[in-house]
This record gives sequence, structure tokens and C-alpha cells, in this order.
Amino acid sequence: MAQEVIFRMGIPVLDETRREIGRLEKLVFFETEKKITEIVIRELSCLRRIPVERIRSIETHELLLTGQVNPDEFPVFDPDQFEELPTWFFPSGYRIEVGSVVTLKPSDIRIFGETEAYTRREFMAKSTAVVATLIGISLVVPIGGYILAAVKTKVSDHWINLPMRLDQLPLDSPVTQTFSTVSVSGWMRVPIEKTVWLIRHSGDTDPDSVAADVSIGLDSALEKKFVDPRLTAFSPICPHLGCAPQWFRDQKQFICPCHHSVYEITGKVVSGPAPRPLDTFPVRIAPDGIISIIYEQFSIGIPKKVRLA
Amino acid sequence: MEPEKEGRIVRYLDERIRLKALMSFLLNEPMPGGARWAYVFGSMVMFSLILQFLTGMMLAFYYGGTPDHAWDSVNYIDHLTYENIPVGRMIRGLHYWGASIMVILVGLHLLQVFLWGAYKRPREIMWLVGVLLLAMTMVAAFTGYLLPWDERAYWGTIVGTNMIGLIPIVGPVIKSAIRGGVGLGALTLSHFFTIHTMVLPTLFILFVGLHMVIFRRVGPAGPFGGDPLTLESQKEFFYPRQVLMDSLGMFGVFLLIAMLAIMVPPGLEAMANPSNGAYNPVPAWYFDWIFQLLKVIRPEILGVVGLPALIGMILIFLPFADRNPERSPLRRPFSVLATLFVLASMIVLSILAEKGYKKLVPLDRDAMARGKVVFDHSGCLGCHRLQDRGGRMGPDLSEEGLIGHPQHWLVTQFVNSKTNFPNSPMPNFTFLKPDQLHDLAQYVSSLGRAGWPDPTKEGNGEK
Repeated sequence: MAQEVIFRMGIPVLDETRREIGRLEKLVFFETEKKITEIVIRELSCLRRIPVERIRSIETHELLLTGQVNPDEFPVFDPDQFEELPTWFFPSGYRIEVGSVVTLKPSDIRIFGETEAYTRREFMAKSTAVVATLIGISLVVPIGGYILAAVKTKVSDHWINLPMRLDQLPLDSPVTQTFSTVSVSGWMRVPIEKTVWLIRHSGDTDPDSVAADVSIGLDSALEKKFVDPRLTAFSPICPHLGCAPQWFRDQKQFICPCHHSVYEITGKVVSGPAPRPLDTFPVRIAPDGIISIIYEQFSIGIPKKVRLA
Repeated sequence: MEPEKEGRIVRYLDERIRLKALMSFLLNEPMPGGARWAYVFGSMVMFSLILQFLTGMMLAFYYGGTPDHAWDSVNYIDHLTYENIPVGRMIRGLHYWGASIMVILVGLHLLQVFLWGAYKRPREIMWLVGVLLLAMTMVAAFTGYLLPWDERAYWGTIVGTNMIGLIPIVGPVIKSAIRGGVGLGALTLSHFFTIHTMVLPTLFILFVGLHMVIFRRVGPAGPFGGDPLTLESQKEFFYPRQVLMDSLGMFGVFLLIAMLAIMVPPGLEAMANPSNGAYNPVPAWYFDWIFQLLKVIRPEILGVVGLPALIGMILIFLPFADRNPERSPLRRPFSVLATLFVLASMIVLSILAEKGYKKLVPLDRDAMARGKVVFDHSGCLGCHRLQDRGGRMGPDLSEEGLIGHPQHWLVTQFVNSKTNFPNSPMPNFTFLKPDQLHDLAQYVSSLGRAGWPDPTKEGNGEK
């Protein structure tokens, strides 16, 4: 197991007689072998290259060579022959072997210094993170709210007056009524046409006047508040998968053409895959017989009647 | 570089993308002379650009880029709330004030680089890229001004594009090309929208990248004084001290923009009305000095084309003309004083221009509401028109508030209109009490300003 020495620039290089030959200046790294092959020392006149085989030991504060050394024997270091490696070339913690005795850890003495410097660096790093987090958090509210704002837009309940009076409707026979309304999408308002099924009843005594979703209690407070025994208004949308059921006069049934859900005149499911009865709308009848409804949309495919926002 | 307890994610990424070497490359940029507060401006500009990108993307979520919908969609954004927080107004405020602050920061960054002499060899190309980025910032400000499609936007752009049209020979062609036709219309808006949201961001990313690459190739210029040995001994890496200073600078910019966005929301004038000849267009504040100078310079062409061209030329050729390696601003007094003089005159001209603009009457919401009652009961709509209602005898009052008649002018107009217009057929409403006259003037001053179409309501009436 090699002994680890943290490598520092500028430590003295001594020979056997402990005479200082120069100071450690550079390391020559042989890239294909991933090994340090030579050290470069600065003596009085110039830089010289000394092979690592001449190193006897490496201490943290000095470097000892074998034998007596005459610096003039060694070649002068020519910077043009070598490429300077930036500090970032070595990933942090990267170790380079020198011979088989020690591993060197390249490091800049200015960074790798006293423990005090660490705490300062850590403090600055943490402060930066705090500042960045503050900016980030302050932006979360406006940006998050902005994205969600359109989702949370409330549906307004506005009454639509149908171009139809109660006395104009046939008794106990569903008819479709088309009306024009405005579809609001964000900032755009588009006039569109919609339809609704209307069924006129003779009054309280008519057993058909209570729609199935009223009798099994699927309605919301709004729908419960606006029921009228003289009239039922059904959504044209099949609660199974959103097709349009049709009224078949001979069979006295609504039948959906897509998957054959069959409903009674009260909207009750007779057969087929429909999970709940036909959906009723809130209705209001003015003294002069003008019919108004609130057009709602509900989730399809589930047993509950859940209004879509 | 530090012995740190590294997590598994760091180790995983380091093995695959050499993360630590990359971070070390990005952060351990040596800075001669150490970290300084003077170097924070570049990062501040970068931050404001990122904030513009972010808020701009948000705005694009709800924006409709056609004359039919642009104003409606901006009005929609302005009234967008989440749990009673006016998020839409905040986002729009951040983008609006972010643009203004970015223009200032680009100016400060340029000034710092100039004073430090950091544009000199070998940093000429970095300076040129910077000048290009300045030009792009101004184009972004100009194209963004039109997008809300309100009166201010429409008429400001009419004047701006007309100025381009004054360039000899090529002017008219360029003007029609950016307008997408003779007048301002659907094509102008889609051209400006595309330039603002697609062309410029792409170019920004490209040239900011180039600016940074050149910066890392030549390294920071460092202080203008000091001998190389001292600078070397004071050398610091970019991380962590300069990074902290930069992030504090960015935080300051963010606080300023956020404060302005919340306290002074940008507002939206009435929808652009090409037939409103009475509107008095006012440029964005950073073009004020050109606006004021145009009043002085004759022929106009010199100011419109000559001035920006001159400034552009000076900025482009500065590093090539000024080959003196001296960087200290104290030892090159001529160029520094000349720059400070230009800067001071720009500020003075801007102040003069701002003073010259007609101030709109400050509004009191309660008085406006009372004034609306007076307006509706005095039969004003018998002769005047308001949003497609009323008579055609008198002038259309739909945007009267934007014209900027002062309070006393309006009161005089109500009780004795012959003072203002000798041939006016308007009856004298002398039966109104003084406070009613005041309220009525307040209401009339609000028409076409906040809260469209009924200025007395906070929302726009459609819920």
C-alpha cells in the first residue's frame, strides 16, 4: 500500500548531504503511462528536470534525492516542449503514482491550506445557496399561481333563457331544444349552439316528473334547489362515454347509439353500460312560461354526478 | 479540490460526465487582483435576461398574438388571480420592469467595462459582441412595447417605425418589411411577436454564449492599476467569493424588480384605436433622450438616423481606434470626460422630455363613480359617443382620459365650452354644482384609462 503524501509546490529539494539543490517547481506527467516521470526544480540559474528514480523520499516539507547531485548534469527544462496542465485537469481526489513508494495528490497550496479557509469557503458557498433559494422561492408563488390560475377559474352559474315557453311543449314527450350561448375560453368568447332534452309533465301527480338522479340523490345543492315537477331538462350527453342518446317514441326509451345504454323517460338506466341515470339540469319556469336552465357539464364514466369546472 | 463528503449522485455523475472536473473548470477561473464588487454587473445583466426569459414564457402561455385577441389576452392576464393573489399582474410587472432594469444594467455594464479600459486588446471582439447584445436589448424593448396592443403600444410603434422609414433609400422598404405592409396591423403584430419571442431569444442565447466563451479564452481583465506581481499574489478564483458577490448583486436586482412590479403595476390603456387622432404618443423612457433631441436637431433625418448611427459607430470602432494600452480612467481623462458628458446630457435630455409630456389627471376612484352618475344623468350621451353608444354631434369621448386635459380645462368645458372652442355648440351645464363638476371631470379623465370598458369598475366587468 502506497503511502499518501500531499504534494506542495516550493518545498526544498535536498541531496544526500542535505545540501539544497533547488525548490520543487513542477511535475512532469507522462500521460500515456499516467505516471509522473520527472520533477522540475528551480535552481539559481534555471529550471532542471530530474527523473523520479533519483528521489529517495518525499516528505510534506522536503524532498530528498539519492547520492550527491550536481544540477548541471540534468537537462534544462524547456517550457516549449511541455504542455501546462490547468488545475482542473486533475479531478479532485485524483492520485498519481510516483514509483511504487508514494502517491502524490496534486493540489494548489492556495486552496488546500488552513482549516480556517475551509470554513470561510463553506460559509460563502452556503450564503450563495441561501440567496439563490430566496430568489427561487419568491418566484414559486407568482409562477406557480399563474400556471394554476386558469385551472382554478370558477364556473359561473348563469341562467340561459330558452327560446321556448312551457305551454309550447308536448306533454310527456321528450324534445330537443337548441339554444345559442357563449363559450368562454380564457380571453376568448365564442358564440356556440347547444342542445338540451326537455320533457313536460302534467304536474306533481305524474310519477315521471321525478327524474332518476333526483330520486337516488345524485344532485348537488344547486340542482336540488331548482327542480320543477312540470319540467325535466336532461343533458344531451350520455354519462357512459359522452355520445348523444336519442328518444325512441315507439319504445318510450332513450337509447344511446354508441354502446346501447337504454334509459327510461325518467333517465333511469334500463340496460347497457351506463354508470348512472341521465343528468338533469337546474330549471326555472317564469310565470309567463319562459324556461331557463343552467347548462352544466359532468364527468362521464363514473357513478357519481361530478360537475366539471 | 477540497476533501468533501461526496454523495452517491456526485460520484455517479463524476464517473460518467466528469462532473467535478467540469465544475472545477467553471468555478476555478483565476481572477487577477481578486474578487471585486465592480465585477458584478455582467452577472446582474445575465440574471435580468434569465428573468425576462422566464416571465416571458409565462406571458406567452396566455397571450394571443393577433389584433383581435392581443389586448383581450393581456387584459385577461392582468386580471388573473390565484387565491386572491394577482399573479397575472405580478408576472406582467416582473417582465415590464425587468425590461427597464435590464436596459439600465446593460448601460452600467458597458460603462464599467469602458471606465476600467477592459475593452482594449485583446478583448476587442468580446466588446463587439457586447455592443451587439446591447443592440438586441434595444430591439427587444422596442418589439415588446407593441405586444399589449393598447393605445400607448400602437401609437408608440407608429412613431418608432416611421422613424425607421426616414432612412434614405432603404428606409421605406425596411419600414414596410417590419410592419408587414403599409399600416400597422395583424402582420405587424405577428412580426413583432416572432422577433420578440423567437428570433431574439435564440440570438441572445447564441451571443451571450459567445460572449462567455471569449471571456473564458482571454480571462478577466482585472483591475486597471497595480503591478503584475501584486495582482498575482492577490489572485483569487471566481468561486466562492465572486460568486457570492454576484449572487448578492442578482438578489438586489430581483428585489428592485419585484418591488416595482408589485407597487407600480404596468397598467393597460384602452385597446389600440387607429382612428384616435387625438392620442399623444410617448416613447418608453429609455428612448426619451432621442425624443427630446429630435425636437432640437434639424433636419430630422440627422437625429433619427445620424444619432444612433454615430453612437453605433463610436461603440464599434472604440477598441480599434483606442490602441493606447493605458487602462486607468485617471490617465485617459479625455475619453472618460467625453463619455461622462454624453451620459449627463442623456440624463438631462430624458428629464426634459419627461417634463414636456402632458401629465394625465390623477384619479380618485370614488369621485369617478359619482361622476359616472352625473354623466349618465346630464344627457351627455345625447351628443357624445362612448363605446358605440350615444350621439354623434360631439366628439367621441371613449378615450378622452388619454388626451390629458387638466381638471380646470374640463370644468370650463362643462360650464362654458365657448372658452375652449369658440364655435362649440355644446350647451353650458351651469346647473351642476361645483363638486358635481369635479366628479364629472374625474370621470371624463378616466375614460380610456384603467378598467376597460367601465373605468369605475376594478375588473373589466366580465366575470
